[in-house]
Amino acid sequence: MAAKIEVEKKSFSLKDFIQKENTVGYVFAAPFIIGFLAFTLIPMILSLYYSFTDFNLRGGDWIGLENYVRLFNDDRFINSVLVTLRFVFVSVPLRLAFGLLVAYLLTRKAKGVSFYRALYYLPTLIGGSIAVAIVWRELFSINGAVNVMLEGLGAAPVNWFGDPRMAMWPLILMSIWQFGSSMIIFAAGLKEIPAELYEAAEMDGANKLKSFFKITLPCLSPVILYNLIMQMISAFMTFTQAFVITGGGPMDSTNFYALYVYRHAFDFFNMGYASAMSWVMLVIISIFTVIVLKTSKYWVHQN
Amino acid sequence: MKKIFTTLCLVIILTILTACGNESGGGGDDQYVIRIAWWGSQMRHDATIEVIELFMEQNPDIYIEYEFFDPDGYWTAMNTRVASDDVWDVFQMGGNFQQYIDNILDITPFIEDGTIDVSRTDESFLNTTYFEGKMVGISNGVNSNGIAFDPALFEEAGAPLLHADWTWDDFANSAMIIHENLGIYGSSALSDFIALTILVTQSGANFFDPATNSTTLGFDDPSILVPYFEMRRDLVQAGAFPDAGRLATITDIEGDLLVTGDAAMTWVASNQFITVANAAGRPLELVPLPRLTAGGESGMGLTSSQMLSISNASPYPEAAARFINFFQNDEEANRILAGERGVPIMSHIREMLSENADENLATVYAFVGLAGELDTGLGNPLESPNNPEIRDHFEFLLEQVIFGQIEAEAAAEDLRDFAEDVLARN
Repeated sequence: MAAKIEVEKKSFSLKDFIQKENTVGYVFAAPFIIGFLAFTLIPMILSLYYSFTDFNLRGGDWIGLENYVRLFNDDRFINSVLVTLRFVFVSVPLRLAFGLLVAYLLTRKAKGVSFYRALYYLPTLIGGSIAVAIVWRELFSINGAVNVMLEGLGAAPVNWFGDPRMAMWPLILMSIWQFGSSMIIFAAGLKEIPAELYEAAEMDGANKLKSFFKITLPCLSPVILYNLIMQMISAFMTFTQAFVITGGGPMDSTNFYALYVYRHAFDFFNMGYASAMSWVMLVIISIFTVIVLKTSKYWVHQN
Repeated sequence: MKKIFTTLCLVIILTILTACGNESGGGGDDQYVIRIAWWGSQMRHDATIEVIELFMEQNPDIYIEYEFFDPDGYWTAMNTRVASDDVWDVFQMGGNFQQYIDNILDITPFIEDGTIDVSRTDESFLNTTYFEGKMVGISNGVNSNGIAFDPALFEEAGAPLLHADWTWDDFANSAMIIHENLGIYGSSALSDFIALTILVTQSGANFFDPATNSTTLGFDDPSILVPYFEMRRDLVQAGAFPDAGRLATITDIEGDLLVTGDAAMTWVASNQFITVANAAGRPLELVPLPRLTAGGESGMGLTSSQMLSISNASPYPEAAARFINFFQNDEEANRILAGERGVPIMSHIREMLSENADENLATVYAFVGLAGELDTGLGNPLESPNNPEIRDHFEFLLEQVIFGQIEAEAAAEDLRDFAEDVLARN
């Protein structure tokens, strides 16, 4: 046995090593593995540790559960949870509905459909950027284009960012406007629905609306589930729009969870507190995802 | 297999790391390489880079790597560097230097051996950057806060012109008169938190206690904060002061409502007055901040707008000191910098700049002189390390008062308790 190992060691050559399938696999996977370790796994473990300290980038001490206790006594934190939930519950259904509507309209066999699909996808491509957020801020500012149009229509201008009850609407509108990625997935799902179903329904005298609710929606429900979960998670993490457009104001009416985390982490350097907040966010998102998955058996049709 | 894989990973990681670390490409072997960072506007970035290039031309043995930021980005970068123990050799510092005191080198030896020439300034200017026996830097310029106003709009509205000894009541009245007669805002944005802390000084206390280096509160009775909340609420509700939606449209000082003619007054740090006046293109005037009572404590004082400090981990502190000396004393360099960082503390630079000073620069010089005279030493120039968090909470409370959600008294009490909590925690 020992001799055999000896032989194997001797026969090791670089050429064999490089040509081994496993090696090739690991080398190709290395960028991801390194990235995952350096930018996801290690930071996550560290942030869990920091959440039990008062770390402020220059050092910190172990303070146990103090950060978590403080969180639930922090009215502005509770408010940021409520504000975020409100945003998620309004913007996600609207965005999905809009994405589905446009996808539905673009399934008909007409000229230039793929051009329009690309066109409607554009806002999603550029939507997360600072530049678009700044444009949005200008559009909805008190003397911006939206108010000029409202006045032209004879309506009173709206003080979008000066009124705590209105400030979230521009952000919701922007989120709806970025329906592109769910639209593409819906469009793919719509194509999978067999045309015979519609033909049969038409023969039985069902109108378009009825066949949409009786055929399209049930057949599409697995895709809706997927889109719902993905969009919900990304809505929970909304940051750029609030950071650039409203800065969380007025009166914390758009102080989204992710923005409040950022404030504490990078404005006040309460890294420990911000880490604790992030972990609570993970729990909140998980709870909602589980709820959606658990209830899905009542409305998702598997064929 | 496992071992080989680990080695492979290590090799890749090391390659990446060394690639990142290899920044000092520009410096030769016989050169000192020092790193410099600052925050500011585009105007400051351009001027500072020009001065750095001029310095390197005249001092071929020093190579300078520079980084510049907007103010928010600067502190994030600074804190990250402090955490990784890799602070720049020379860095700009503000009133919050106490937070970084462990990273700042005492430059007294360089002043004593003449590397940094301070013969043409005086004690009072040097004292703005002196802390607990340590010279923490050299001020790039001094400034003070004031109110800039447009005299033509005041006359048009029939409001009495502002003068050096005026009160917060005068401020509110002027704003109301201007709003009623001209339909514009009386005043553009105020720097609310600074205004509040100065109001506390005017009431005979300090927001942060100077005796503990601003690590505790310097007042106990929240009722001295109430007038500020009430004044801001009343002015916004009357339409004489912009509300949150209108304030959000002001993104830089060049777009201030005073500049656009939508307001007749605005808050400026004295070094910003030139920018505002040039952007407005109309004659503007500058007065000290309003007081609680006429003839009472003004709360005004000269502060170092910012300074250059040396890192105590710098391998070449002497090269760094030579740059600071150049930055402070060289006439050509200061012609480029043009006093944008505040009124220079070196007398020969001040003289040089005032020789071809326009009206606005002359106004700033006169104003800074006046602020120096008004300074009774009562004000506390030291910022608390927890300033950002307390200021943010104050602004939140102020909005709640303006929207009528809470009473001014409740907000004042909440602010005091919050500030006490934050200071106690750190």
